[in-house]
Order: sequence, then structure tokens, then C-alpha cells
Amino acid sequence: MSADTNLEYSMTELTVTPAPEIIPNTPVNDSLTDANISTEITTNLSEPEKNSEENIEQINFAVLLPHQQVHLQTQDQRLLLILPLDNTEVKEEKELENNPENAGVSIQEIANTLDEITTETETPAEITPMVNNTFNNTWGEIKQQLSQRLRAGERFWQANTEVELVAFDRLLDVRQLQEIAEILGDATLQLKRVNTTRRQTAIAAATVGYSVEQSPPQTLFQPAKGQPLADPIYLQMTARSGTEIRHGGTVILMGDLNAGGSIIADGDIIVLGRLRGFVHAGASGNNKSVIMALQMEPTLIRIAEQVARGPQTHPNQIFPEIAYISEQGIRISRFADFSKLSLLPN
Amino acid sequence: MSRVIVVTSGKGGVGKTTTTANIGMALAKRGRQVAVVDADFGLRNLDLLLGLENRIVYTAIEVLAGECRLEQAMVKDKRQPGLVLLPAAQTRMKDAISPEQMRQLVGMLVPKYDYVLIDCPAGIEQGFQNAIAPAQEGLIVTTPEIAAVRDADRVIGLLEANNVRKISLIVNRIRPKMVQADEMMSVQDVEEILAIPLIGVIPDDEKVIVSSNRGEPLVLSEEISMAGTAFDNIARRLEGEKIPLQELEPVSDNFFTRLRKLFTSKLF
Repeated sequence: MSADTNLEYSMTELTVTPAPEIIPNTPVNDSLTDANISTEITTNLSEPEKNSEENIEQINFAVLLPHQQVHLQTQDQRLLLILPLDNTEVKEEKELENNPENAGVSIQEIANTLDEITTETETPAEITPMVNNTFNNTWGEIKQQLSQRLRAGERFWQANTEVELVAFDRLLDVRQLQEIAEILGDATLQLKRVNTTRRQTAIAAATVGYSVEQSPPQTLFQPAKGQPLADPIYLQMTARSGTEIRHGGTVILMGDLNAGGSIIADGDIIVLGRLRGFVHAGASGNNKSVIMALQMEPTLIRIAEQVARGPQTHPNQIFPEIAYISEQGIRISRFADFSKLSLLPN
Repeated sequence: MSRVIVVTSGKGGVGKTTTTANIGMALAKRGRQVAVVDADFGLRNLDLLLGLENRIVYTAIEVLAGECRLEQAMVKDKRQPGLVLLPAAQTRMKDAISPEQMRQLVGMLVPKYDYVLIDCPAGIEQGFQNAIAPAQEGLIVTTPEIAAVRDADRVIGLLEANNVRKISLIVNRIRPKMVQADEMMSVQDVEEILAIPLIGVIPDDEKVIVSSNRGEPLVLSEEISMAGTAFDNIARRLEGEKIPLQELEPVSDNFFTRLRKLFTSKLF
């Protein structure tokens, strides 16, 4: 497919859901709604007049959501490896636009503002924040996330499955592409295509020998009101201390979440094991999200905006439990008692 | 084919260096060619525990700088011919060496020795990254305390991220009496959190302190100690033997057992 037209799309486009209702909090039905989404998009392609402004050029790009960490997704029988957006560049450009003086906040400037705290008693000095690094993944972290994700899905990879790398606007050189190919190779997967919006990345990929698809640069992903959740991810691993799993959808963890580890999901969190770490469900604000665990012993629970400590006394017998928001805040009930009816929105 | 094993823990003071020295010595006693590498640049201790401090002429830094050959830097243990030590530099710091250089050093040792044990420094920074770079296997040493176990969990995650697949657990300094009184975590509690195969349990033993200060690894002494036997067993398990864990249950401390102890202990 040629990339002539401007690929401009916002996330609202994806809520083309007259038929299938996306109920983000029913984990059972999520896989069904996925299938329905893709058929919706194909019908849109056959009627291009409907969307004159937003032209969905390629199937895969249209349904891809920006992820906060490395993400592996099956799309139209293709295995896509989606790298998180490169937030540093974007942020730096924006800062430069708004405040040319602020470009490159140095340690000296911060030190100066701290000095001001002692001298000025009236106005509290502000610490000029550095470039927002919350979701910035360094290259080392990306490689680690990729290894972790691949190991978490080890049971499911078939040997020699082809992988398409979706790099969005990230700059990758030959060495980095080879590192990715090596990590994929350890899991018997083969990197075959590279999908990118940056010319340099496309050149590097072509140099190594992958088929390249270069898409025109998209406008910044704007969080729109009807933003749907990403597909749930299913990870089989022990999430150790220091591990952070971030996802824009539901997270299903087959294994333990050890203390010091965290899962931050926009959807539900289901831990088929011991939940001993920190969990935040409904991170984007959905307070109907729930957290389920076979053994609920969290350090801290957050659902949407609410926070709660894990209960200090543990029950004598261990049952699967579910945490949800009620009028009294976050509550934990036994899963068997928790009526499934209350999960569906009224 | 050589086995490169890193002995690490995250937390400091749990017994990595003691474990490296004793397991290295135990393997050498069984006839293996063992090289122990001290990766703790700046705070080296492995030479002290082995009692080889005053035989160090060159360290790994000189080998990398080309000032001496590897054989000149290796310190052979006169008590046990199969064991050699590659010392770290006390005058430099962790950033004096890089992971790539560490791989080079271990690469030079691999053809000549059956086992290369790397004594990792505490922490997860440069020293740790250096030590795990050449490793294929890992031995995690932890004490049954919540802080040590938490750090061990972090370190296991880092090892897995660095493609060290075969990781085994050693629980050190366990006190059976306290475990029985429910004042200390049990081995099962630690295993449950860390979820890696257990390779050995070492009881808290005063003899370890004595042997450290003397520079004589516990496995070399003629007296049989619980800790020494435990290290021996770990070495045998590394070799593939299946040995059940020692009975560490505390003996009930009543009048008759004390009377019995009085008669069986040495009088002089």
C-alpha cells in the first residue's frame, strides 16, 4: 500500500463500534470484541468516502495504539513488535517551542532555584522539572522489556514465526536493529519487516536487509475522550521486585507479583498467583476496574484515583479475592462471593 | 567445557565471599581445576578469606593493562593444588573495569579450568554488571531476612534479564531454633518468594567467623562443622550428585541431652 495521503488519525476514530460494545471490564469477552474490531475496520476500507478526513491507509497502523512499553501483538495473523513512542524527542521539541530559554534545563539552573529557596521567604521557588521521563524507555530498558515479554510468552511462540517491527518515530541504527533481531532469535522468532516513519530508521533497516515500510509521520497521539483500551496482555512469568509492567489495557499475569514489583494497567489486573506488589488498575481513570488475585497480599492498591493499603492481617485461609471500588472506597471481597453481575455496567 | 558461575546476592554481608571461597575449595578438593575471581574492585575480600593476601603481586588490572601475563597474576593455593585466585585491585574502584574486559578475563580462564567462580560485589551497579557479564550460571546467596530476600528477588530479575538462565538458591545463616519459634523465615518461605531451585542451606555457625579471621576456609579444617558439610554438599550438588538436605532441626534442649553433651564433648 502506498503512503501518499497524510496518515492523520486520532484515537476517536477507533470507537467505530455501533455493533460490538466494548465493555472494558469483562475480561471474558475481550477476545471476542477484538475480532469484531478488525472486521469493522475492513468494512471502513471498502467505503473510503465515509472517512474523508482520516484515511486509514494500512490496517495494522490504524488499529495500533501507542504503548508505554514494548508490546507484542498479533494482527491479521502477523506478529507485530511495537516499540513504545520515543517521548524524549517529542517533549524536547515542545519545550523548545514554548520556552526557548527552558531548552536544556541544566543542573546549574536547578541549583540556582534551590538557592533561591533560602533567600526568598515570600514566594516558594519552583524546581524546574527536567524533561518528563516517566515513560521514557532507554534502549537498555527496551531490550530488557523485550526479553521479558518474550520469555513471558515462551509457551506460545512457534519457531520461525516472522515478526514485523513497528518503530513509529523512533530512531534506530543498524546495531540496535541487530540487537533486536538477536533477542528475537533467542526465542526462535525472525525479524522480517520494519515499519517506521523515520527515514534514517528505514535506511538502517534496508541496510541490514529487512523489508521496510515507511509511513508518513503521524500527528501526535492526542488522548481523545473515547479512547478504547488496548488488547489485554497475557504474561507467564514471576514479576520480580523492580519489574514494572505498564499496559493500556487489561493485564493477566500467570505467576506471582513479588513485593517491589508493580503492574499499572488501564484495564483490569488479574494475577493468577500471589499478588504481593503494587497494582494500579484503571490507571487512566476508569473506577469500574477491578483487581483479582488468587492470593491477595498487596503492598498498595490503586483503582483509578483511589488508593488503599493492603490489609495488615491476613485471613487464615487463602481464597481468590477481588478488589473493586464501592461507596466506601476500595474493598476486597472473596471472588466466589463477588457476584459477576456487578461487573457489568448498568 | 568450563562452567562460569557468579555468586551474587544484592544485599551485602550475606555470605557471598565466604560461599565462593568454600565452594571453590570444596570443588578443588574433589579434584576439579577451579579459578575463583574476585570482582569486588576496591573492597576485595576473597583473598583474605582464602588466606592468600600476602601472596598477591599482580591483580586483574595489571593483566588487562598488559603489564603482566595472566599466569603471573593468578595465585595458586599451596594447600589445595586445584584452586587459583585472580585477585581484584584494592586501590581502584568499580569503574576501573568494564563488562567487556571482565568477559575477556574470564574468556582467558575458561580453557584451563573446570569451574570459574566469580565473587560479585554487593549492589546492582557497575560492579554487579561487570561480574554478571561473563556468567552462564548464578548462585544467589541470601539470609532468611526480609531485606535480603527482597534484594535477592531484584537481583534474580536482573540476572534473568541478562540471560543467565540457570540460577540456584543458597540460604545462608539459618537458625533452626528461631525458625521453629516462628521468629525467622523458614527455607520454604524464602523458596516460595524467590521461586528458584534450592541448592543448599547453610546454618549459622560461629566457626565461620573463626575461619574467616584465620584465612582458612571451613571446608579445609579437620573438624567437621555443619556449615563446612553444607558447603561440601553444595559442591557435590553442583557436580550433579543428589544429596538430601542436612537435618538442621534443633535438638530439644533438656537435661538429658545436656548431660549427654557433657560426656561426649572434648574435655581439654
